Order: sequence, then structure tokens, then C-alpha cells
Amino acid sequence: MKALQIAATGMAAQQMKVDVVSNNLANMSTTGYNARRADFADLHYQQYARPGTISSSDGAMLPTGIQIGLGVRPTAVSVVLAQGPLAETGGDLDLAIEGKGYIEVTLPSGGSAYTRDGGLKRSADGLIVTSDGYPVAPGITIPSDARSIAINADGEIYAYFDAQIAPQLLGQFSLVGFTNEKGLEATGSNLFLESSASGPPIVGTPGLDGMGVLRQGYLEESSVDSVREVTELIKAQRGYELNAKVITAVDQMLSATTQVR
Amino acid sequence: MDASGYVTLSRLSGLSREMDLVANNIANIGTQGYKSQGAVFSEFIADVPDGRSLSMARSTAWTMNMTDGVLSQTGGTFDLGIQGAGFFQIESPDGPRLTRAGSFTPSAAGELVNMDGLRLLDAGGAPVFVPPNARDIGIAEDGTISADGVPVGQIGLWQPVDPLTLAYAGGNLLSAGDIEPASGGEIHQGFLEESNVDPVGEVARMIEVQRAYEQGQSFLDAEDERLRNMIQTMGR
Repeated sequence: MKALQIAATGMAAQQMKVDVVSNNLANMSTTGYNARRADFADLHYQQYARPGTISSSDGAMLPTGIQIGLGVRPTAVSVVLAQGPLAETGGDLDLAIEGKGYIEVTLPSGGSAYTRDGGLKRSADGLIVTSDGYPVAPGITIPSDARSIAINADGEIYAYFDAQIAPQLLGQFSLVGFTNEKGLEATGSNLFLESSASGPPIVGTPGLDGMGVLRQGYLEESSVDSVREVTELIKAQRGYELNAKVITAVDQMLSATTQVR
Repeated sequence: MDASGYVTLSRLSGLSREMDLVANNIANIGTQGYKSQGAVFSEFIADVPDGRSLSMARSTAWTMNMTDGVLSQTGGTFDLGIQGAGFFQIESPDGPRLTRAGSFTPSAAGELVNMDGLRLLDAGGAPVFVPPNARDIGIAEDGTISADGVPVGQIGLWQPVDPLTLAYAGGNLLSAGDIEPASGGEIHQGFLEESNVDPVGEVARMIEVQRAYEQGQSFLDAEDERLRNMIQTMGR
């Protein structure tokens, strides 16, 4: 009886769903976080009698045969790409991306990572960095004597000085898109890395090339929908219990088998 | 010839297969587009030398419950649910496959693929390409894909010419003989079809199978008892 192993794959799948849901709920307040979803597919099938097997001497065929599935397997835990709500913060370096695109971050190793977390800060030297202190491409420095800065929807950063009336252009943020955003490799700390599944980064100007626009003074909140997550949690829990029930039933059947004299 | 043991055995082995099947249905309660499976028992007439015949139970066939699963809203651009008849056609190394699981994503090359990386095929049987720099991708009920309002392709719905050729192929896929374009189905963007496994029905079946199995077992016990008594009586 394979039902024991089959039910075990079902329990493992529901367990994984609970893991994904709990990670989503834990990141309900993470800036720029997108919910993840676990997808499942049925496992292979064991053919007891192939469809089309000749079943009698006059050539009659089994129309369907016997196929028994061996359970379920996870196929993907993919990012649900959804725009999170924009919350007003008033911070001059808080940037929300409205639409597609990622901000490029330079890692200490020299490589690039990508994020939708626009809670940027300035370093001791005035360099624009992420909350973890990694420089944001293209590496813009804000002069220490700047009175205020303004970032427009197209990503241009202007600094205002006491001594002059016209603002000074400091630089331009670009946004990066990917053919397959779901293929990006999450590394934690709101960062993603390019992978062979995501395709190469496509650099674009905010507001052009299909990219979103930047909103200064706003942050993109987590797109986790708590109601959906709780319903998913209930479904996963009941699914787990049902699979456990199968194991109990099979156990009793096996026990009946061993009791036959 | 004493055959009651064999008759019971044929029933028990069929029941244990049905249990495997119920377990598989329950394991796939959260699998998108999964169609639940049922077992069919038939009578198998065995010849007995003295001219009489013996009827055994045999499980040689299964059924696929083609009821639509619930369409649940996900909001994903490439989450596609089919309402009504039809399947998506997927290109697999073993030939074309059908599926109702509509969770797709563009590959690095920009072609829509399922979660195992197999390509979705359009109404003409070619891969579906989605422009990567499009701001908005819309998919209409007839499968027409539009990028920022410009039509760029059409996802096709297919059906087997002979529905009896449909068989489970694993990985959310179904294999079929010849296929033809289907009509009558609508594609809904932002929805996924859930598994159509009915938990109440499966639990009821599971209990039924378990009890029938135990009944078979107690019949074997009784038969064993009868033989024992007979041997004792005759041997006296």
C-alpha cells in the first residue's frame, strides 16, 4: 500500500505552504515585500495497466487502464508581483516605485543587487545608501551644505542651497527591469540577485521603457494581504489534517491485515 | 476447490489500490487544476474446472472527474483560469500535453512557461512571446494577449478529440491522443483553478474503503475458522 507515502508527500506539501504563509505574515510590515506563493503539481503516475492493454481474446482494449498517482510535489515558491500600497513618510530619501522596476544596489563584493525597498539613507560622506549601508547606483553624493533635496518622478535628484536660487542637478536614478521578475534570486534584506532564469537586467529611466515612476516621501508597504494569508493558512492546516487522517486509516487497514490468521 | 479466500483477496487488493487513489486525491487537494480520480470495480468471471464459474472483483479502470475546480482570485498577471471547456497546451519533451493549471511566468527569453519551465503554446501551436518592456499585459477571455493595448498574440484552448484518451502525466499535465482547438471556454486573467478534490467525498470514500477492507479481513477470519472446524470434525 503506497497510500502511506502518498499521504506523507501531501503532509510535506501542506507543511511547506504553512512555511510560506508564515514567512509572508512575518513580513507584513516589510517595506517593498511581495507575498510568495507555493505552487504544487501532481507527482508521477504508476501504470498498473496501460490504457489500450488488450483485455480479451477478441481484442477488446482497456479504455482507461489503471494509473495510480504517487502524491504531490512543490513546483515553485514564486513571488506574487503586486504593487504594495504607498505610505506617506515625508522622508526626503524615501522613494516608492509606482509600477515596475527595481533600484540597483552595489554590494560590498562589487556585484549588483536589486531592491524595491526605497527607504534610502545618506552615509557619513553624503553618499546615498540603503538601510544596510550599500551604495545605490549610480553613486550619488549629496553635498553637506545642501539645504534640501528633491527627487522627481523621473528619478532626477536636485539639491537646493542657501546661496543660490536655482536647484542643482546632482544625478539621475535609473530603474532596472527583468524579463522574468519571478526568476530573481531573493537573498534576504529586501535584496534580489540576477539569475539565469530572470534574464539580464534591463536598465531604464523611470517613467519610460515600461518602468514605473518614483515618488519621493513615500514608501511602498508590503503587498501581503492578511485576509488571503489567513485563508491560505486555514486551507493548509485542514489539508494537513486530511492527509494525517489518511495515514491513520491506512495504519488501521495494515493492522487489520496483520491480524488475519 | 476452495476459492472464497481468493475472491476476498481480489477485493482486498482492489480496495488497497483504491486507498492509494484516495490518498493521491487528498495529497493533491492544494494542486492547481488537479482533477480527482475515481476507481471502477468490475466483475471478473473465472472459470472453475467443474463447469461452474467464480466471480471476483477487479479494479481495471479509473475515471477522471472533469468538474471545474473553483476559480480563486490571485491577481497575478500570468495566472490564468479557464471557465468552461478546454485546456492549455504545453510543449513537453514527450509531445504536447494538456493542463488546466494556469500559473505561468515569462522565461528569461520572454516566452510564457509553466512552473516546470515547459512552454505554453498559442492558438496556432507556437510558443507565446510577451514583450518584456510592456507596462501592462492584458489577457482577454478569448486568450488575446495585449501589451499596453496592442494585441501581441493569442493563447489557445485545446481539447482531446477523444476524451477517453486523457490520462494523467504528472506535473499537472494530462496526456491525450489527438487534440483540436476547443470552443466554449473562457480565460480569466488573475485567477487560478483550484483542485476539484471534494474533501468531504474523499473522507467518506476513505472510511468506506477502510471499513470494507476490515470487513474482508473479518470474512477471511471467519473462513479460516470454518476450515479449522471442518478439519477438526473430519479428522476426528
